Formats: sequence, C-alpha cells, structure tokens
Amino acid sequence: MSSSPEQLRRILGRVKRAEFVGRTAELERLVSHASHAEAGREAAGLLILLAPLAGVSELLRQSYDELFNAQGDVVPIYFSLPANETTAVSAAIEFLNAFLAQYIAFRRNEPSIAQASLTMNDLVQLAPVVDLDWIEELVNAYNKQRFSEDERELVRFCLNAARRVPAANPRPYVLFDAVKFANYDTERVPFANELIKALAGSPFVLAGLRREIVREVEQAGVDSGKLEKVRLEPLAEADARKLVASVARREGVAISDECRDLIAQQLEASPFLINALLQAAREKHLALNSYFDCERLYVDELLGGRLHHYFTSLLEQVAPDAVDRRALIRLLSESLPAGQRTSSFVAWAKRLNLEPAHVEEILRRLHIQEIVNWDGESVDTQRGSHAWRDFVRSRFRLDALREPRALVVADLMSAALKRAPQTIARHYRRIASLPLRDVLQKFNHQRVAGALFDHAVFAADYKGAPAEEVAARLEIDPQTVKLPQVFHTAHGVAFSAELKQFDEESCVVAHAFDGTGYTSENEIVWLAAKIDSKLEAGVDVVEAWCNRLENLAKRSGFLRVQLWLIANEGFSAGATEKLREHNAYASSRAQFELLTAQLSDSVIKSSAATDSEFVFILPMGADNELLAAATAEQIARRLNFRPEAINQIKTATVEACINASEHSLSPDRKIYQRFRVEDDKLVITISSRGILPENFEAKAGASAGAKKTADVLDQRRGWGLKLIKTLMDEVEFERVDEGTSLRMVKYVRS
Amino acid sequence: MADFKSNVRSHIVGTTAIVYASDYLNKLTGERIERECKKQLDSGARALVIDFSDTELVNSIGISILLGIIDIAEKSGALVVFSDVNNETAQLFEMLGLTRHVVLAKDEEEALTTLSASTKAMGH
Repeated sequence: MSSSPEQLRRILGRVKRAEFVGRTAELERLVSHASHAEAGREAAGLLILLAPLAGVSELLRQSYDELFNAQGDVVPIYFSLPANETTAVSAAIEFLNAFLAQYIAFRRNEPSIAQASLTMNDLVQLAPVVDLDWIEELVNAYNKQRFSEDERELVRFCLNAARRVPAANPRPYVLFDAVKFANYDTERVPFANELIKALAGSPFVLAGLRREIVREVEQAGVDSGKLEKVRLEPLAEADARKLVASVARREGVAISDECRDLIAQQLEASPFLINALLQAAREKHLALNSYFDCERLYVDELLGGRLHHYFTSLLEQVAPDAVDRRALIRLLSESLPAGQRTSSFVAWAKRLNLEPAHVEEILRRLHIQEIVNWDGESVDTQRGSHAWRDFVRSRFRLDALREPRALVVADLMSAALKRAPQTIARHYRRIASLPLRDVLQKFNHQRVAGALFDHAVFAADYKGAPAEEVAARLEIDPQTVKLPQVFHTAHGVAFSAELKQFDEESCVVAHAFDGTGYTSENEIVWLAAKIDSKLEAGVDVVEAWCNRLENLAKRSGFLRVQLWLIANEGFSAGATEKLREHNAYASSRAQFELLTAQLSDSVIKSSAATDSEFVFILPMGADNELLAAATAEQIARRLNFRPEAINQIKTATVEACINASEHSLSPDRKIYQRFRVEDDKLVITISSRGILPENFEAKAGASAGAKKTADVLDQRRGWGLKLIKTLMDEVEFERVDEGTSLRMVKYVRS
Repeated sequence: MADFKSNVRSHIVGTTAIVYASDYLNKLTGERIERECKKQLDSGARALVIDFSDTELVNSIGISILLGIIDIAEKSGALVVFSDVNNETAQLFEMLGLTRHVVLAKDEEEALTTLSASTKAMGH
C-alpha cells in the first residue's frame, strides 16, 4: 500500500513531500525510471540537464526518500560531490562510503544509517547477514587497493561499487547530484570519464549543467542519445510564487503577497536563489513585508551573504587566479551596458592579457554557466541572472574602482528599490496580456470560425449574444478558416528595432506552413500585433500598424504574409475598411479570447478522446475497404444516424480507403483508420504512409467532368474525392509528414 | 442460358443482353461486367440491360467503368438501361452524372419495355 506524502519518512529530503513545489512531474518520472530501468542495459541512465540555478538537489533527495520508503527492488543511492573536496581520490572514497552506508540503511530499513558518519569497518559490522559476505569482500578489496600506487585504479574501484552487488540482490540506483566536473579539470585522474563509465554499468541518474553534461557523457564514450533526459528549467511563475510562500512558511519568515511576487520575479524563479534569500531572512529574523525589506536583504546577501558566497565561488571556478579574476570582472562589468553585447575572442584575449588557451578555458567555463554565449569566435555577454549582473557590477566598483563600500551599497539599494515596482509591473502586465505567442503556437492546422478573425462579421452576427450561445454557434459556423501550422514565433522587436517603442509582447512574428506540404509555396509568415486602445481602434492607428508590419515583412524578405491586428474593443468602420485594403485579419479581445478557448478545447478534446475513439489498421487490397465500411456502419448506427446517412458514410469510407491505397507508394501497404465519436458527429480519418503525388490537392478538387476525358485515372481520383465531399459534411486533408490523411466529418443532424 | 465463365451472370432476350452486377461494384467486378458486355455486343446484341438487383455498394472506379461501357455501347449503336438500382446507388449515379447518359428502370421488365419503345421510336 502506498503512503500519502505526509506519511512518508523524511530521510534525505530537506522539505516534507507536501512542501516540495513545482517538480512533481519530474519526481514521478525519476521514480518511474528507477522502477523500470533494467540493470546492465546501456540505456538505463537518465540525464538531468540543468539550466543554471534551476536547482536539482531537492528533486533527487525527494526521489531518494520515495524509493527508500517503497522498500522495493531498487536501492536508492544519493551522492553529491563534497563542496570542499576536489581530489578525485577523496571524492571516490566518499562515494564508496556513502554507497555502502545507504545500501545497508535500505536493507535494514534504518534511515539514520544513510547519513551517519561511519568507517568502512563500522559498515561491515552493520551489514545485514544476507549482505555480509559481499560487503566484507568489497571492504577488504578496498583496503588493499587504497595502498596501491595507482590512483586511477582506486577511483575506478570505488566508483564501480554498484557492480559488486550480487545479481540476486535489490539493484542500486545511483542519483548523482549536480556534478561540477570543472572542479576536477586539473586532476591527474580523469574523474568525469571514470565516473560516467562506472555509472553506465547500472541504472543511474546524473544531473549536471546542460551545457556540460552531454559533452562529458559523450567524451566518456557513452552514447548520450540512448539515455533518457529530463530538462530542468527555472520554475514556472505560479510555482515560483508557491515556492517562495512555502519556503517562507517553513523558515518561519513572515512575508506579504507583494514581497512573495517580487522575490519570485526578481530571482527569476530560481529555487536555489529563493531558498538562499529566505534562509538568510530566517537567520536575521527579518520579516519581508515591503519592497524595502526585500531589497535590503537582497543587497546584504549579494554583497556578503549566501548569494555573494555562491557567485564568488563561481567566479573562482571560472578564473582561479586572482589577477585573472580581476581582469575578468572588469571585462564582464564593462560588457553589461546594453549595446555592447558581443565582442570577439581576440578582443577578450587582448583585454584579459592571457594566452589563447587560457582565455578559451575561461570562456568555456563561463559558457557552461550560461554567463556568456561563446561560439568559438564571438562572445555574447548579455547573459546570466539579474542577481549575477548586480554582483559583477558591485564587485567591479569595489575591487577594481576601489569605490567606498557604503557608496556601492547605497547605489545598489537605490537601484534595486527603483527596479522593484517596474519588475512587478512588468510581471502583472504579462499576466494580464493576451498570450499572443501561445495562441499562434496552438494553431496547428486547426479549423475555426472565420468570424473570429473578422471583427465586422463578428460584431454583426454575434455581438450582444450570451457567451455560451456565441461559443456554441461558432462551433457550427459554416464559414471557417483553416489555420496554418506555426513552427517558430518571436517577438516583433527581434526583427525590427522600430518596435522597441512598444511592449515586447505586443507584436509577434510567426513562421508557418499552410496547405498540406512543407513547400515554399505553403510557407507563410503571420504578423500579429495587439493595439493598445481603450476604444475601438481608428483608421490612423490601424494604417500605422499595417504599414509597420508590411515594412517589417519587406525588410525581412517575407514573401507571403498574413497581418492580424487585435484591439480590445475592436475596430471602427473606417479602420475595418483599411484592414480590408491590407487583407488583414482583425479581432477584438472578445474574439481573441474565444479563439484561445476554442484552440485549447481542441487540444483537450483530442487528448481526452481516447474512450470514444476506435483505431483499425487494414492491409490494402482484397476489398478490405468493405471491412472499413462495415465498421463505419456499426459505429454510425450507435450514433443513431439515419439509414441514408449511414450509406453515405459507408460510401465515403470506401472511397477514402481507395484513395489511400491508390495515391501513395505505401511502404507498409496498410490503411490506418480512426473513428472518433463526438457529441453530435462522427469524425473518420483515413490515412496511409507513402509518397504524396504532386498536385494531389488540386486533383482532389477536380470535377468529374465529361465521361470522354483522356486521363481516366485522374478522372477516377477526382470522382472519389468529389463523392466524399458530397457525402460528408466536412472533408479536409490533414497535414502529415508522408502519405495522405483524409479527415471526414458527418454530423448526426445532417 | 446463364453464362458463368467470367463469373458474371447474363442472358439474352431477343437482341438484348441482360447482365447482372454483383453485390459490390468495384474495379474487379466492373471490369468483368465490361468484358461481358463487350462480348455480348460482339455477338450481335443491340441493347444492354445491366441489372443491379444484387448490388449493395458501388465505388467510384466501378462507376467510371460503367461510363466506359456506355461509351462502348454508344459506339456500337446499342442502347443501355440500368435496372433495379437501389436508392443510394441511384443517388451516386445522379451525383456523378451517369443518369445523363443512361436510363434507369425499376426492374428488368421495365427495362425491356423501355428498350422496345426506344427501338420502335428509332424506326428499327
């Protein structure tokens, strides 16, 4: 029987399971991976690719506790390289000690042993009888090995402890916490290489910075492509707020809602920074009830507390030599102002006055920490968290410019206080704003009512009707628009500096494909803009936006574009005329919200439709289309279609199967059929793999014409699709990577 | 007398060949009917009745073959009548324009009567 989160024993977890915020899905994934990973399989590893400051320790600790408490066939072993140990040998010995302590703790079901400070001999004494032989043998072998001259052999021996566990025993599952391989760069023993090779022998989790870990794994000769991967980004905004509240509660720090939101925003949802700041508040017995409280604590921490310690350590890792470090701080600080974001490698080498190899090493470490982007040639310095940038600036003023500390503190505090309301205002604006990029990304070839993109039509047909009625009528509106599949979105400001004058979220450039193929003809760019207007948008503002977007398209070389303007209260009659001249779509906020709901609904419906969905696969040929027709008939009967409609569905299904067979050079010679029953309709999708003939859609739309045409085959194709279009209520080709996929809808009412 | 050599049932009434379509009219069965009709025309038939009393389902390829049969018959100066076509199939014929080229008769008897009247009208 599984225990509730509250009932779980806390072993390595620093917080109760119920207080563990924002990483529930990842926790489940790790526990599931542990249960399913098979020992000895090459692909039994899982990499956690960390964004800097995303935080992973608690996730691994919570995973450990769950696996420990489950007392199943998997023995969790958690290990984090000691911060103050930098030799490969001592780290490896620590690992062996932790491995045995945790294995014995699990086998005896005594959590206290997992973290106890025990010698190898103590561990032999504590080993349960069933494990005594192999543990004693392991410790004896270790005692012989540690006096040998071969350090690499000793490291290898310790790290491979998991291989010494008898096959019949529960399997060890090593959870290796955020490894900073850079700490071991100067070691004689290639620690990263040995560690990864050792881990690869049994199921494991290895967490590390995303820009470092994959490279290290590949360098150790392990195929990273075969390993499962979990990507850890900073928390989502809502989770970050929850985390701030949760940590504050746990640490006994009183905090207002405003301060909670400020900390979540200012520390960019980093669990590490949030925890550090609130722990400092607890130690200093501070309540965080105002921006002033928060910023005073932030500045203190940045100049002398946990944040200072963390960033100082990071700098020391990047540039261990004090003189190099000073030069680096100067260079980084001077690169921070906007407009100086990139410089060349040569410029860096010159400024740092170091050998190229040394500069490369520094840049590689900064790149891994995502403080810079370095592509081998140019260096982009506009990176790193806001806290990091504040730290660099203040260090530069204190260490290089020798400014009085009081002045630096005052300036930092003043800047932080001035920035706080702006940070929060930006956050609130983002929450309140229309999620334009999100909506565009959901388009995905969906078909929606055309009225959602035509404000004049919407105003005439739907304005004033109750919301439920509007939504219901839009669902059955026969005038529809097929949306493209958007594959890339960016803020307009990324394409045009002119747009800097507007809020970043107000203009989006979306690259997309319409039609059924990824061809140049089908490529289209949607240029969407939100007009900030309390009243109906007028002619001038609409004209200005249309011109702005068309200029952007021209300068960027976009061949086919679709303009789309959104204004809270819609558009005046004159503006509507202007929009038509520019072939622009126009939506009010109400239309946009309906569109958002409709696109989200379809995603939910399609993912929740499995209960009412039937999928069949038939081989092509041998009149198998009759089997498909019989299935369609049975399903249509359940929906109480009229006999005439049932025959129409059968005939359309037969024709679609014939099309699927005829029109593709199908490698598997199979017809895939999906019948989905929805409230008032039957949706049938017939698809096949293979090659789509050129101009397929054009032929599909061709009329049967006279009987005396030269190309009988083409005529037949046209006839089949003409029949389907006549017999069904909606027919469209869905976008597929290969072959054809024809979606047909029949409404019960028809 | 019925002829089963091509798996298509047929018989002759005077100079009219009556050919029976199967339950599913597709490419294969359509081509069998086409072959039988050609054979009958080559043997001197002056009219064709294609009987659909057993036919439950037709597909577009089957229909295109029927058009081919009408074409061949026209070239031979023969008339064609479809008999016993169910409602759904009749609708498909209508949709695809077959009814512009062929007469639909309720049953075989009506088909023969129609052909007889047409032959007289044409002065044969």
